[in-house]
Amino acid sequence: MGKRLQSVVLLGVVVALVGAGCSSKKKGAGTAPPSGVTEQGLATEGSLEQARRGLPPSGDGGPLKDIHFAFDSYELDEVGRNMLRTNADWLKDHTDSKVEVEGHCDERGTVEYNLALGAKRARAAKEYLVALGITADRLTTISYGEELPLCHEHDEECWQQNRRAHFVVLGE
Amino acid sequence: MNRFLAPLGQPFIRLARGAWRPATLAFLGLLLATSGPAAAQVRGTIFGPGTRSYPVAIAPLKNLSDSSRASDIGIRFADIVGRDLTLAGYFKVLERSAYIEKPETSGYTTETINFDNWSVIGALALVKGGYQLDGDNLTVEVRLFDVYQRKQLTGRRYHGAAQDLRRMAHRFADEIMNQLTGERGPFDSRFAFASTRDGRFKELYTMSPDEGDLQQVTRNQTINLSPAWSPDVRSLLYTSYKRGNPNLYVIDLLSGRETLLSDRPGLNLGGKWSPDGSMIAASVEDNGNAEIVLLDRNGKLLRRLTHNWAIDVSPSWSPDGRQVAFCSNRTGAPQIFVVGVDGGEAQRVTFSGTYNTSPAWSPKGTTIAYVGRVEGGFNLFTVRADGSEIRQLTQDAGNNEDPSWAPDGRYLVFSSSRTGRKKLFITDAAGMSQVQLTHGGGDDTSPAWSRWLE
Repeated sequence: MGKRLQSVVLLGVVVALVGAGCSSKKKGAGTAPPSGVTEQGLATEGSLEQARRGLPPSGDGGPLKDIHFAFDSYELDEVGRNMLRTNADWLKDHTDSKVEVEGHCDERGTVEYNLALGAKRARAAKEYLVALGITADRLTTISYGEELPLCHEHDEECWQQNRRAHFVVLGE
Repeated sequence: MNRFLAPLGQPFIRLARGAWRPATLAFLGLLLATSGPAAAQVRGTIFGPGTRSYPVAIAPLKNLSDSSRASDIGIRFADIVGRDLTLAGYFKVLERSAYIEKPETSGYTTETINFDNWSVIGALALVKGGYQLDGDNLTVEVRLFDVYQRKQLTGRRYHGAAQDLRRMAHRFADEIMNQLTGERGPFDSRFAFASTRDGRFKELYTMSPDEGDLQQVTRNQTINLSPAWSPDVRSLLYTSYKRGNPNLYVIDLLSGRETLLSDRPGLNLGGKWSPDGSMIAASVEDNGNAEIVLLDRNGKLLRRLTHNWAIDVSPSWSPDGRQVAFCSNRTGAPQIFVVGVDGGEAQRVTFSGTYNTSPAWSPKGTTIAYVGRVEGGFNLFTVRADGSEIRQLTQDAGNNEDPSWAPDGRYLVFSSSRTGRKKLFITDAAGMSQVQLTHGGGDDTSPAWSRWLE
């Protein structure tokens, strides 16, 4: 577990460095990260902003990892809870960052029901992070239902990727 | 008693102004026949929608204008009426190439029509008429005949601008249905829907039931959802992410003026005007949980109708405005419930199936349409509000979702993936006659059928 945590933190730094090269409108935290490497430009874009710029919604490219759900469910499974612990550790190391939790669904079912289901998924992820010690005012939620899928095929492999909570680092 | 042969030349009756276009639509009409809603007055039996058995001939209108200027108005009128009657499912519209009488060399009154020319090709009913285009002023005079009895069943004169041709045709199609089926047709109306036809984002559009007069309502390149008509067909209520949060907006289609109705943090979704237009039922988020609420016309909270940890979405009003059907997963999976607008305990309506959503309460008051998941696919069903008489309308034809009732309560518009991309289709309430309504690229979803335009 410790090793895994390290690699996630390291990945976060790599992402931060890559991110620094991009023209992000939002300013990231200017604090010194644990490794001593200068870090900036951490802020990432929400899935809708990315779609507006013609980009696909981002999956696991950011410092915080997506978690996944079963069909018509917002229950956190063990894999999801482990991932949330990892995400919580990152958030504890980056106390200036705020995060928007996006809830997403697969294409099956009604637009409106899926929007409500996405809200439940985002809420479940947020509440677990709060239970792990992240202050609630650092976490906002939004649901995109089935509107911004990662994957566009009509099969379970694709649907599984789309049923997710996605974490967008908003910066300070 | 020749009540169908009321003389021409009576004063015009001014009808209500169309709600969907600026003031150019000063629409005048004259009721030539005085019969009220009637039972079928023709020979032969009209079976239900889906039989397509009642043969009707629709002749292109005769050009009565002085100028010899070529015009396709007469053919376009016949095309739109014919398409409406095809969508209706009761009728078989006879091929125009078989018509013996040519419009330009024949009359359109009982005395001047050679009915043998129509009975020989099998027509039981006949539509004939003429038009006059004077500048931008269009006058259409059109009549429906019983071919066997050689008599006029109804006649109408419409006067308006040239662009009103479409509405004149829809009105006459509705009147033909009134005469032949005993109930007015639903085609003098509009559809609103969401579509990705112009790009990757869902924008909202309205159109005429013949797929014509398409108007784009939103153009914000975010996500726009769930359009709902105001009872006067002047405004749309919808959800948009254009300011980031999914808020409810009202847009006046005449002026284009838009107002923010609800921007409570989180979802503001599925808004529907009450039948009298005084209130709006919607789903708003309370700490991650969607609840059904009643708002006034300014978006102020009047009452919360659900108090439950579960998802509560997609309100649909009963036609008397006293109850709201909605979708809730309070029993573990989504099912249809009904609750009184004064509050109280919600009653469960659907008990079969494990995934039932999108209730749409018929304007006739007896039936609720909904979407059920069966063996992984989504299909349309109807159920009586008391939970009895479940009927499946679609099967083995892709996913079928988003039902919305026609103003006459006899038809539904819905989205279906049966041809690949999601497109809009019309079905009668029994599922017998299913006809594709929209074509082209992109996905068309969330259709809303307006009330009649006047």
